[in-house]
Amino acid sequence: MSTGLVASSENTESKDPQQRQPLYEASTQFRNWRFSSEGLAQIREKLNEAAVAAIRNTFEVDQPGSSANVAFLHANEEVTLVKLYLTKIPQLCAMFRFPEEVEATAISYLKRFYLKNTVMDWHPKNVMLTALFLATKTTNNPISLETYTAHIPKTAPSDVLDLEFLVAQSLNFEFTVWHAHRALWGIWLDLQSLPDVDQNLSPSIHDTALNHIRASRLTDAELIYTPSQIALAAFTLAAPDLALKWAQSKLLPNVTSSQLSLDTISPVLELIKSMILNEGHAPDVEAVREVDRRLRICKNPEKVVGSKAYLAKQAEEERKAEEKRHKKVLEMQKGQSDPFGDEIQGTSLVDYDDDDD
Amino acid sequence: MDAVEKANTARQQQWIKDRKVGEGTYAVVYQGREASTKRKIAVKKIKVGQFKDGLDMSAIREVKYLRELKHQNVIELLDVFSSKTNLNLVLEFLDSDLEMIIKDRSLVFLPADIKSWMAMTFRGLEFCHRNWILHRDLKPNNLLIASDGQLKLADFGLARDFADPGYKMTCQVITRWYRPPELLFGCRYYGTAVDIWSVGCIFAELMLRIPYLPGESDMDQLKTIFRALGTPTEDDWPGHTKLPDYVPVGQFPKPPMRDLFTAATADTLNLLSKCLIYEPRKRISALEALSHPYFFALPYPTHPSKLPKCSTVVNKPLDEVDANVDMNSSGPGVKATSKGLKRKLTSPTEAKARSIARRLDFSKAPPSSP
Repeated sequence: MSTGLVASSENTESKDPQQRQPLYEASTQFRNWRFSSEGLAQIREKLNEAAVAAIRNTFEVDQPGSSANVAFLHANEEVTLVKLYLTKIPQLCAMFRFPEEVEATAISYLKRFYLKNTVMDWHPKNVMLTALFLATKTTNNPISLETYTAHIPKTAPSDVLDLEFLVAQSLNFEFTVWHAHRALWGIWLDLQSLPDVDQNLSPSIHDTALNHIRASRLTDAELIYTPSQIALAAFTLAAPDLALKWAQSKLLPNVTSSQLSLDTISPVLELIKSMILNEGHAPDVEAVREVDRRLRICKNPEKVVGSKAYLAKQAEEERKAEEKRHKKVLEMQKGQSDPFGDEIQGTSLVDYDDDDD
Repeated sequence: MDAVEKANTARQQQWIKDRKVGEGTYAVVYQGREASTKRKIAVKKIKVGQFKDGLDMSAIREVKYLRELKHQNVIELLDVFSSKTNLNLVLEFLDSDLEMIIKDRSLVFLPADIKSWMAMTFRGLEFCHRNWILHRDLKPNNLLIASDGQLKLADFGLARDFADPGYKMTCQVITRWYRPPELLFGCRYYGTAVDIWSVGCIFAELMLRIPYLPGESDMDQLKTIFRALGTPTEDDWPGHTKLPDYVPVGQFPKPPMRDLFTAATADTLNLLSKCLIYEPRKRISALEALSHPYFFALPYPTHPSKLPKCSTVVNKPLDEVDANVDMNSSGPGVKATSKGLKRKLTSPTEAKARSIARRLDFSKAPPSSP
């Protein structure tokens, strides 16, 4: 469980070729979903700018001048809105009695989704429901869609399913998520076999640390730090002395200058701790309400079913699809004039159910 | 167009489908190329639209695990993209599988060839297990062979991760002939040893050139195992009579393995028997197997490029395409029928008719147990 501890996002030290790559470093999480806090801010700014520009354009096409008085959302306002929906996931999970892994995975999915999309296109309310449903499947805890939506007010199966592909695509189909609560469990098990630790550890220590981890899920911690770094920070908040003992037991043997020492971890732990304590709570409801109110005006009209822009986009897509089908039919007819074409007539070369696009 | 949609389209354009090489109820397989390099690839197009619960578990498992696993002896998932209601998996192209090679009567296997295939199987499996992933459907036709002779574990539609002991799992996994006795007795807590049993059966099959333990039903499977390896005693396998589905199936003596595997060396039989130990905890692990004397004794394993290959180019059997999803079953999507009963689609028209008939059957499996 300590493998990820050395892998901070700033870690660029050269590796001993003899050493086998830690498992965590081969994961898609390590490779593709790790950012610096500045990097995160930049991604969100850019995404927000591009979204505003595109939506503004749609407004203008519909009616010139109509975007002038629209107060589009800022990147940090998007984050606040998403955060509110992050807090809804544990509530739903409690109702369904889903395991911790489903909850943690759904939360990761929702965060990752909004590193690729804007709330002005896709409202987090629906995306959250889809992310959670997808997480039940990817963590091997599936329930039927009917049961799922029956327990959620004003939600039809299609509300969840329509976004499933989009969510899966946004996640780059990388479904595996490594969680801090698992790393915490590893620390907890390790502690019980340390020689100088009282065997009767109070379970409340683990529970307190777990609550800190749950709080960390409302922050960007998992996008910046490794699961074991977050787990150790949470454990340090719950029981600093025990945490130190555990860390020492992991780091003591042959510490060389190039390797990790307590001195290099401590500042990282401090950053995570303050993140948990300062940001690990639900956003102010009034502030979110205000964001949501503005979102009603500035959301992308192309995504509003029935709107003029939506219909225009639909028509355009239909036209393209028709063109493609037409091309395919032509190709098929060309194929049939081939001297060898007759043999395969009747088994229908063109299968509309089967278009390869 | 959204950035995500754009990225998806860009991915799609990197891959060219050339021709359909197989069609099943829920998937179509194409042979194709990578646009930039012309490298041969396979595209497995999964029709998601027909599942009322969206992306199905089998596809999710396959994508989830193959996205993380990169190893010479595990099939490589090159890309994933969606098209309308289809999910497309771009996989490295592999032209045959071990079942085809075993069945090809024109091929002669040397002991060194078998050793090479076993080494590659254990290497791929050790990598999965090291990554906390159980394959749960090892059998010769899930061990694919690349043109350079490398063997690759494929079809992760039944795979799952494991970590804590005491986490309940389904016992309805692994094709029957390769299924270990603990699963046949309904054991819901198990680990990597289940895959090792399957590898043992494959090992024996490579020597015999016919399936080693071909049971006709789950009950008959136990009988077949006990006939071959002797009925386990309480000493052999403590506690097995307490397993949920335990039934006595008769007392069989343990015949010497040598009687069946007449040409095998002592090392060979030793490794084989360690894969087929009744007590799962005593069964050899993939890591231990890799350092077993068998692999260090003469003859050394054949270089992959020199291994026997199927002479004729055969399309992948069509039923392969369906992976493990049996939409009519009530269990968690297991295809554990014996090979004789497998569907072989004979003509395209029949394929079509069947595929439609299947689609009209909406009996839906209940959520599978974890």
